[in-house]
Amino acid sequence: MAATGDDATAMDSISRVPAAHSAAPNLTAGAVGHTEGPEDAADSPASAPRKPHTNSDGGVETAEEAVEPAEPDINELCTDMFEKMAIFLQGELTATCEDYRLLENMNKLTSLKYMEMKDISINISRNLQDLNNKYASLQPYLDQINQIEEQVSALEQAAYKLDAYSKKLEARFKKLEKR
Amino acid sequence: MSSAESQPRFGQSVKGLLSDKVGSCSGDVIALTRQVLKGSRSQELLGQAARNMVIQEDAILHSEDSLRKMSIITTHLQYQQEAIQKNVEHSKNLQDQLRHLL
Repeated sequence: MAATGDDATAMDSISRVPAAHSAAPNLTAGAVGHTEGPEDAADSPASAPRKPHTNSDGGVETAEEAVEPAEPDINELCTDMFEKMAIFLQGELTATCEDYRLLENMNKLTSLKYMEMKDISINISRNLQDLNNKYASLQPYLDQINQIEEQVSALEQAAYKLDAYSKKLEARFKKLEKR
Repeated sequence: MSSAESQPRFGQSVKGLLSDKVGSCSGDVIALTRQVLKGSRSQELLGQAARNMVIQEDAILHSEDSLRKMSIITTHLQYQQEAIQKNVEHSKNLQDQLRHLL
């Protein structure tokens, strides 16, 4: 009998402890608590759990959950937490953005380089076209040079023939002189 | 399941449960973000694109170098063409002289 009585009191104490430590942000409890808060605040310190109130409404017995008063800086802490979460998530996404920016800069530099190469190519093309036209205008002169070369060769052949003939003449003259 | 988890467990306060829940939600959001980024494979693709561009840069520089050399060679050709033009104008007199000789 004594053991069961002790067990019952132990069960009661155990069942009362979670209710005492519960700090669920219950709005209804808070609303009711605010009205009855000043009375409790005057009685107990702010961190102490408030005693649950029971209401009997039309024969139905209801109970409010015992809540602890919120810490005064909980809003600030929540704001701080969400801000830091936002900064962290932004950092995660910024890595990909930076990769895209790097590729964009590399593409821009490459396009600038290609534009310079395009200008150089246009200049080269124009210069080569002018050169081709000038060499085309030089063609008659080159033909003349070919003709000059042929004439010079003919002149050289004529000079050799003349030289050979003059040597023959000299030899014949010497022969005649000896007689 | 959520209602069972939201009930205060034996020896655990609602405050502790709430902080655990907030922590797990934050972890879930972070994991979701990482999964989305990993699933998009943007890191791999962009890294591969950057690597390919670095490989191409050598070829681009070589091409630019070749083009500059070609422009210098073209300029030299122009100088040579001007010199030929000057000297070729004398060939007419030479031809007349040779015609007289022959």
